[in-house]
Amino acid sequence: MLTVVLQQGINGIVVGSLYVLVALGLTLIYGILVQINFAHADIVTFGAFAAYFSMHLFGGSYLAAVAVAVVVGAVLGWITNALIFAPLRERGSELLPLIATIGVSVTLENAMLAWFGPIPYAFETPYSNQVIRFGFGFITLQNLFIIVVSALTIGALYAFLKFTFVGKALRAVSQDRETAGLMGINPNQLIMLTFVIASALAGMGGAMLGPVLVLTPFAGTSVILKAFAIVIIGGFGNVEGTIIAGLLIGLIESYTTQFLNPGLIDIVVFALLLLTLAVRPTGLIAERREENV
Amino acid sequence: MSELATPAASVAAVPRRMRWLWYLAAAAVIAVLPLVFTDSYWRTNLIVCAINVLLAIGLDFILGYAGQLNLGQSAFYGIGAYVSTLLIIRLGVPFWPAFLCGVAAAGISGMLLSLFAVRLRGHYLAIASLGFAVITYEILLNWISLTQGPLGIYAIQPPPPLVLPGLAAIEFGNLANLFYLVAAFALLAYWLLDQLVRSPVGETLTAIREDEVSAASLGINCRAWKVFAFGIGSAIAGAAGCFYASFIGTLVPDAFFITGSFTMLAMVVIGGMGTLIGPVAGAILLTVLPEVLRGIGDARLIIYGIALTLVVLFMPGGMVQAARLMAARVRRRLPQRGLAADARP
Repeated sequence: MLTVVLQQGINGIVVGSLYVLVALGLTLIYGILVQINFAHADIVTFGAFAAYFSMHLFGGSYLAAVAVAVVVGAVLGWITNALIFAPLRERGSELLPLIATIGVSVTLENAMLAWFGPIPYAFETPYSNQVIRFGFGFITLQNLFIIVVSALTIGALYAFLKFTFVGKALRAVSQDRETAGLMGINPNQLIMLTFVIASALAGMGGAMLGPVLVLTPFAGTSVILKAFAIVIIGGFGNVEGTIIAGLLIGLIESYTTQFLNPGLIDIVVFALLLLTLAVRPTGLIAERREENV
Repeated sequence: MSELATPAASVAAVPRRMRWLWYLAAAAVIAVLPLVFTDSYWRTNLIVCAINVLLAIGLDFILGYAGQLNLGQSAFYGIGAYVSTLLIIRLGVPFWPAFLCGVAAAGISGMLLSLFAVRLRGHYLAIASLGFAVITYEILLNWISLTQGPLGIYAIQPPPPLVLPGLAAIEFGNLANLFYLVAAFALLAYWLLDQLVRSPVGETLTAIREDEVSAASLGINCRAWKVFAFGIGSAIAGAAGCFYASFIGTLVPDAFFITGSFTMLAMVVIGGMGTLIGPVAGAILLTVLPEVLRGIGDARLIIYGIALTLVVLFMPGGMVQAARLMAARVRRRLPQRGLAADARP
């Protein structure tokens, strides 16, 4: 019994750290822009397919495939900002960018469905079948790779935001864009940078999700719905809260599958989301931004 | 939020006394349509059009007037369809009481969702309603003992004919009759919403949409009005669901997946949110266009998505704004052309 709990705990952390990668992008964008990028889901899916095809077309290295996905994600993020968010920013509308990215997402998802078909792709990496056994259970090398790479990436992002000048500027802009502008920070460049970082994370998340979940054109959408739940439970725009909530949702998902019924995962996650909204809409960690609540 | 305020109120340019003429014209068009389209394929599409019009104007009342982005419309649609159908086939409730229950169930769940998310607006409400749509879909899919899950409920019998005094009996099995029924209901819902948005209620909702804090400072109970708007909009979606079930004869959860919410959103935005005639035009266009361009098949949603994005970027008032711009240009050009002709020696 204990073995099962621990084993499912590992699986939960693997999935949870991927959710954190995807949700962090949403949180960063929300933090700086107070906007939701619905097309984030499709950047995840694009990342997964980019990694899959680069592995199968150019042969071999999974690491290179992850790098390709990161670049593809970054480029897509830059495009999303340049074509959708930057033009709409001047209008100062709250909901129009969200509606526009819903349109982008519907377009991309169905375009991928037309190109790649609905049949799941078997995304096997060289690490998928290598198992490390230890005291109470086992972990595939792929899952270990996911945990290590996610932890390093999240740590690097955290250090970047906390300690570098650009990171501090990013946080300054997300706290008060006008004052930051007066201090000589160019908000538009930082917003662009945020989109690139957020979408690179999404691409990376996709490249690592592909081998773990089922790779179809809808892969990103199923993840993004949980990522929305995570950013709300963690507190929109809150990096620490997002990390905690992401791991929590991963564990909940894993234990729901083990002890209840896999069909209940979405119900449990979204019930938790609605409960959070009703009881503590600022998220797990109290947050300064109150005006949207 | 001001972007949502497309020049909506100027529909009121038509004098109040003349407006009944438009309803008369709409009723005449509805009466003629099944006579023009006699094959069952197009008559089916007419009914789908009428159902989509109901869904779109219901969503527009919440989004375009009250300014609440509701991504859960597909769930209210599904609740109406499943509640009425299950009451009919499990408990033997007659159609019209079941219809009322379906409408009430959808309306009440809309009000509950709105109450639950009462402190939320904007993005939070959008995601809460999306979450609600996902939960509803998953429950329909997983509560197999009640809904038969992905297998669906098959061979739903059409309800007995509706006999109205002074009119011929309306047969649900007859596509033309059913179209008259659903279209008449859509016209009634349109009239009801039209009365609402032209009354002080409409102004109150618009005030909340534009600036909730100012509205509250004027003594408007924003929560109550948002719950009200959600209740009306979702109840209309519930009615659409009841008609859908009685007409299609088969219920599967996939008909009420969140993609449906996005399609309805596209209908409202492409038509012109914040107006009532816009979503009607959007619903008709997005229903008929894929049937006319039959080659596109699965590309339907790609086109919806592109159109939705382009409209938000370049013409946020949708088809209504485009039509107004065109009318204004024609009006401007006509006298100018006259002057130019006069000026010529």
